[in-house]
Amino acid sequence: MGLARYVAARTIWAALVSFIIVTVTFLLLALAPNPSISQAATQAALEGGDPATAVEQQEQLRGLDQPLYVRYMDFVQGVYTLEWGWSQNRAQPVTEALWQGIYYTAQYSIPWTILTLIIGPLVGLYSAANMYSWKDHLATGFAFFGWAIPNFFFGIILLVIFGVWLQWFPIQYDTSVPVFSLANAHQLFLPVFVLVTGSIGAVMRVSRNESAEFQNADFMKTAKAKGVSPTRAYAYHVMRPTMVPLSTTIVSQLLVIFLGSSLLIEIVFGIPGLGRVTFDALINQDTNLVLGATLLFTFIAVIGNLIEDLVFTIMDPRISFDDR
Amino acid sequence: MATQKPTKFDQVDWDNLTGSGRFKISINMKLLLVTGVPVLLLGLYDHFLVGDREATFVRLGEDLGLSSQFEALGLDFNPTSVDILFVFTIFLFLWYLVLPLYQNMRMTKYYWKEFKRNRPAVISLIWLTIIFVGGVLGPFFVAMPEQDLFAAYQPPVFGSIDQVHVNQCVGEISDGRCQGTWEYPLGTTRGGQDVLAMVIHGMTVTMQIAFITTMIVAAIGITFGTVSAYAGGWVDEIMMRFVDIVLSFPTLLFFLLILYIYGAGLGMFILVFGLFGWGATARYVRSKALSVSEEEFVKATKISGAGTYRIVRRHVVPNTASSIITQLTLIIPGFLLAEAQLAFLGIGDTAVPTWGQAISSGRNAIDFAPWIVLVPGMALFLTILAFNFLGDAILDALNPEAEAESEK
Amino acid sequence: MAIEHDAAETIFDENDVVTTDDVPLLEVEGLTTSFKTEAGRLVAVDDIDFTVDSGETVCIVGESGSGKTVATESVTQLIKQPPGTIGGTVRFKGQDLMDLTEKQLRSIRGNEIAHIFQNPQEAMNHCYTVGWQITEAIQIHEDVSKKVARARGVDLLDRVGIDNASARFDDYPHEFSGGQKQRIMIAMALVGNPDLLLADEPTTALDVTVQAQILRLLNDLQEEFGMGILFVTHDLGVVAEIADRVIVMYSGKIMESADVFEIFERPAHPYTQALMKCLPERGGDQRGGIPGRLPNPTNPPDGCRFAARCEHATEDCEVGEQPPQIEIAPDHHVSCIYYGEGYDSSVVRDAELEAANAPETEANR
Repeated sequence: MGLARYVAARTIWAALVSFIIVTVTFLLLALAPNPSISQAATQAALEGGDPATAVEQQEQLRGLDQPLYVRYMDFVQGVYTLEWGWSQNRAQPVTEALWQGIYYTAQYSIPWTILTLIIGPLVGLYSAANMYSWKDHLATGFAFFGWAIPNFFFGIILLVIFGVWLQWFPIQYDTSVPVFSLANAHQLFLPVFVLVTGSIGAVMRVSRNESAEFQNADFMKTAKAKGVSPTRAYAYHVMRPTMVPLSTTIVSQLLVIFLGSSLLIEIVFGIPGLGRVTFDALINQDTNLVLGATLLFTFIAVIGNLIEDLVFTIMDPRISFDDR
Repeated sequence: MATQKPTKFDQVDWDNLTGSGRFKISINMKLLLVTGVPVLLLGLYDHFLVGDREATFVRLGEDLGLSSQFEALGLDFNPTSVDILFVFTIFLFLWYLVLPLYQNMRMTKYYWKEFKRNRPAVISLIWLTIIFVGGVLGPFFVAMPEQDLFAAYQPPVFGSIDQVHVNQCVGEISDGRCQGTWEYPLGTTRGGQDVLAMVIHGMTVTMQIAFITTMIVAAIGITFGTVSAYAGGWVDEIMMRFVDIVLSFPTLLFFLLILYIYGAGLGMFILVFGLFGWGATARYVRSKALSVSEEEFVKATKISGAGTYRIVRRHVVPNTASSIITQLTLIIPGFLLAEAQLAFLGIGDTAVPTWGQAISSGRNAIDFAPWIVLVPGMALFLTILAFNFLGDAILDALNPEAEAESEK
Repeated sequence: MAIEHDAAETIFDENDVVTTDDVPLLEVEGLTTSFKTEAGRLVAVDDIDFTVDSGETVCIVGESGSGKTVATESVTQLIKQPPGTIGGTVRFKGQDLMDLTEKQLRSIRGNEIAHIFQNPQEAMNHCYTVGWQITEAIQIHEDVSKKVARARGVDLLDRVGIDNASARFDDYPHEFSGGQKQRIMIAMALVGNPDLLLADEPTTALDVTVQAQILRLLNDLQEEFGMGILFVTHDLGVVAEIADRVIVMYSGKIMESADVFEIFERPAHPYTQALMKCLPERGGDQRGGIPGRLPNPTNPPDGCRFAARCEHATEDCEVGEQPPQIEIAPDHHVSCIYYGEGYDSSVVRDAELEAANAPETEANR
């Protein structure tokens, strides 16, 4: 069957893309002047030693004396075998540090993803069904608001209003509360709310516009003529075709916000997740961890793009896999 | 029209058609050459001959032997490469977007009539015009915000702040609260910087990102898209695969990496986002070019013997221009947001005052001096919103069919 | 008065007994459907009456925009309300459908009254298999298991002539040809053993050979299920093939209605004649169509709607209402003033057409 072959081809392509990105990353690193080497040279000179030998020693220590292609092979091998090195600043393997970040990031990302998946399409559909009514205008206004307001700015505002002034929500993130507890839901409410607001706008717009098209389609008349109730007609006959273009929007929106805003949200709300780990690594010059985090996000982006493509193709029965 | 009659009515002598000659330079091109080339030369001069610590115009005055005149005119600016590129982009924008609108008055009036019906879009256009004018002219009239610890946390005019937070109140003090003054209409930050000045200088950065990045994206995207569409076959396939790769690059993270390894300012930001942001545009232009080339009038032109260059230049580009402009308008918010986020994190370009930086600077004082966050934040929010509304409205104005369909 | 009252009562009693035989399957009276538009109120169907009996095929003929589709869609109120408004009475087996709630209507739609539409390409949801869509139609009206519904669906597909029905049950609409899709639509319409089938130009989008097959299928199914068919078309060729009775519509009004033989042999209304003249194989020579355009539906002219395009129109044609339906032969009604008192109907008669059609229609049946 064409489907399996298509998925395989697409996955191989994604792997290739990830490989290209890893290569570009390596080149960026390799072409950069390494601060530790010049540091070593300066130090040697200051201490009355020979700067050249110090540089050599440093290079040997870091494996930089080897030819470029050997280093490249090592680098690529390391990346794909998940040997991402040691985080100096956190004194633990990079993978472990990232894993700890994921643990916290997942706690708000999963609810946020689920809520976006449920609310976005439904509100858009509702908007389309009540097109040009005040409800539609309200939903559209909210969609534009959520889409346009920078998440970190919105987060700060909500935090000061509901955290500092009204004190409805804690302003400090507490890592000691159990994952599945009311307290955790309570402290994650604001970040999840901000992210949902941010990701839902585009989903609502696409859902509304696509549903608007399908609700006037001929097959809706057929459904009505069959005796299908309006609710069922919307739930099945409008929703299903809308999901084809919408699935792409949802995945790309979640991806964009995850890659772009989750880092900021973690800083604003003090969540020690992946974004915070990355940021701290940047500030503390923890090269291995910076590289590891970038690679992780890159792989997430590549996989996200892959899912985006697959989902679209699988959702639309009219696309023949041989054509793509 | 043709000076001599073509031998057959269905064969048009393209070389004889006025305006079709390859060497004839349009008025738009002339204007661009007259205005843009000096700007670019100035850029090169600035880059290669002027030292880091020298002010470009002062040095230019010396080199030209016109120091005294320059001084008399007050020409002592020291534009950065980004500033110079910005000016060049504005010229490009004027001669290739604004001027054609003037040249085609009839169409412009029609578009305007359609556009006017969308009130949020009109307001957005006004807002963006303010940001544009403020960004271009503002820095000439408003000085860079400077530290003045004595004027820290001054409230905006008509606002007030608890006296305990201010070192020295510029305005009156009543009921233990420091009142705002017209000296700092939008208040000041912890460092005593005037928020209004910060916002105005932020406009410049905002418009620089919007214009330059978009120009880079448009230049690469449109070229790549049309070439791919017209080459077809395996060239098209390879080019589109390349676009796939470009689209897969998480630009923000990639920029973070570059920033980490090499350090980067606003110029690098614009370059990286321009060089990695054109994937979607290229894809879009390609599909548009393909669908336009399927139109009957293009086929007719082709049958009449027009060359590919002519078809692309005269038919495909003008007929896709409107949708490309829409697409470009809608990607600008992403760039603005990215810059604001970096600035907020404190890893943006610290040399230029941006809105993101201003938001970040007011974060710790938000509960008692909220204007420091709110003013630049709202400016950023409204600008992003305006670009979105504008993009939507242009889409509607240029595409009457889509609107008719949506109102069914 | 008193005596008459008595008599009426006895008749009423008798009527009550024979209801099922005597009352037409579908009886439409004063049906008026209008839409609210920016340009004002658009009356698409204006005060029309017609009936359809069991086992009978009634064709509504007219050019596009004449209101025939709206008329059929008004029967089960498929028209969206608002912007549409439907008035008049639509009695189905003696029950006025206008009195029913939306929920009651739903139980009739697709069950006792089924529809098939013009464009089979678009009439099915492209995201579901045809089997799913047929099963849906069955399960809405009957509480049966998926397995039973599937078996029924496969039988129906088989009945309408889809080869290898059980294997193709799980295929998507785009995997079928246009003709096959229309067959599937017909199968879907048959799930509830309908008494009335409303067919809105079901063959227009198909090519001629497929068209003939679909018409034959409908004819066979009508014989088998004994249902009444209300068939909308602009194609008089199709009419000649399947109609028992014909209703000619123009600009929301009925111009003429008669038995199919009668109308082909003695087309009385100038509009009917004009339609026939567009048919080359029926002696027509008006290949370019009827000159002129349909009147503005938001502001129809006074008098006969067709007057502006009618070669026989006089001043009298352009005043007052549309002329009343005049019975010129048993069950043959025409809305044209020339058949009224004081006019000479021979002016509008077209001997040439009548001569050309007389033998042919006979042979066709």
